[in-house]
Amino acid sequence: MANLMGKRYTCGVCEATVLVTKPGDGEMSCHGQPMEVAQAKPLPSSD
Amino acid sequence: MNIATLLEMAADAFGDRVAIGSRDDGLSFEGLRRAARAIADRVVDSGALHLALIEPNAPIVPASLFGAAWAGVSYAPLNYKLPDAALQELLARLEPAVVGGTNWVDPKSASDRTFPEAPQHPAVVLFTSGTSAAPKAALLQHDQLLAYVFNTVEFGSAGADEASLMAAPPFHIAGVAALLTATYSGRRLVPVPGVRFSAEEWIEIAQRESITHAFLVPTMLGRIVEIMTADPDARVPSLRNLVYGGARMPAPVLERALELFPETDFVNAYGLTETSSTVALLGPDDHRLAMYSDDPVWTARLSSVGQPIPGIEVRIVDEAGVDVGIDVPGEIQIRGDQVSGEYADTEAKVDAEGWLHTGDRGWLDVDGYLFCEGRADDTIIRGGENIGPAEIEDTLLTHDAVSSACVVGVPDEEWGERIVAAVTLRPGVDEIDVEHLRDWVRDRIGSLKTPEEIEVRDELPQTATGKILRRQVKSELTDN
Repeated sequence: MANLMGKRYTCGVCEATVLVTKPGDGEMSCHGQPMEVAQAKPLPSSD
Repeated sequence: MNIATLLEMAADAFGDRVAIGSRDDGLSFEGLRRAARAIADRVVDSGALHLALIEPNAPIVPASLFGAAWAGVSYAPLNYKLPDAALQELLARLEPAVVGGTNWVDPKSASDRTFPEAPQHPAVVLFTSGTSAAPKAALLQHDQLLAYVFNTVEFGSAGADEASLMAAPPFHIAGVAALLTATYSGRRLVPVPGVRFSAEEWIEIAQRESITHAFLVPTMLGRIVEIMTADPDARVPSLRNLVYGGARMPAPVLERALELFPETDFVNAYGLTETSSTVALLGPDDHRLAMYSDDPVWTARLSSVGQPIPGIEVRIVDEAGVDVGIDVPGEIQIRGDQVSGEYADTEAKVDAEGWLHTGDRGWLDVDGYLFCEGRADDTIIRGGENIGPAEIEDTLLTHDAVSSACVVGVPDEEWGERIVAAVTLRPGVDEIDVEHLRDWVRDRIGSLKTPEEIEVRDELPQTATGKILRRQVKSELTDN
């Protein structure tokens, strides 16, 4: 599974969040389970 | 994490894109990264813990923000309009500090310096505008600024044609936040050069550079609206997104602007220096519903600052600190990962539960729309009645002759405080009958809220970002 730059992953158990700063292969896991992609709510530009 | 990560990612993913300047000869994200590394080398060599900058918007501004981050020290942009003595005072508070210069931008630098992953110092130090007291040095940590960026922007989400016009000065939180979100989204920044804001110049650059995004404070938008009203060729059809904030927007200016920019999405952003920029926003659909709906609930929301952004909680409390629920005014309190509330020199404004006590007065409606009435300290107490100056100012501004207005409470033996207004007149209007203006207010919002006195001025004292210096107006009117 490719990890795209800028994707964020969260753990369903703890508060860990991972930001992909260099793209690459492999699966993000935490607490023995795959991490979920965090979706930013689409917002209009705010600054 | 370090905010330098944002530029590192941008330079890795789309290094050839223009980060700041014109499409033809601007500084690319790769050039900006090189410039930031070179600045970091200078800062580290100097031994300073603050990189101060006394420059208007230009490539040196993002290069210094990220350069300081690369060095692991704090970036402190100062107001270049301040007199020398005041600047020296601020620099003394930042010791050990080094001051950056425009000749520090080296886009070809071969420095391979890396940045600290867990910086020990705040990312940014901003001196708050001080409309009510001496400036305080607000501290913004890397993780707080990043929380705002990650909660509001997707990486690389800007189209290649997008360009943002930077009119907010670099020493204002909106100016800092724009550098971070533009970098992370990949949007080109175009600085408005010069020390003084000129609406003519803003329109001219926006047309020339096909600007798609812009942030304005209300006074700037007011001047642009005046020019567009007089000149039908002064239009910016490329503008897709217009964010306003930084002070209260007078309703007549907003309504006129919505007519003059029919294709543009309007966003009202509410935030404080202490909250790493925006914490609530009134979005484009909210504006349209408010403009075209007959429902008074929606119409009223045009004067709100919208709903909290993701990751932000807002509550309204009374003087005892108890949550007052909906539709009841009180102090606005804010909590979230982007909230700082810390200062270099004074006590933090965040309580043990993480709530920032903003000192702003407002209320929440049934759907969580936040209405901000301004600083709690500005509330006028006349004969035991609490009167917010904002509604009176808005009413004065609906009069064609009035260009700006400031309403304050002045000590009064009989009433405790009496309401006094200072106004400036539009260009071409030489004088106005003050009694007529009082009638205008009385007919619209009643005698209780009608200023006892109205003074006509040539100008009102303002901060660099167009906030009227209410405290100064009040002391002048009190002394008279």
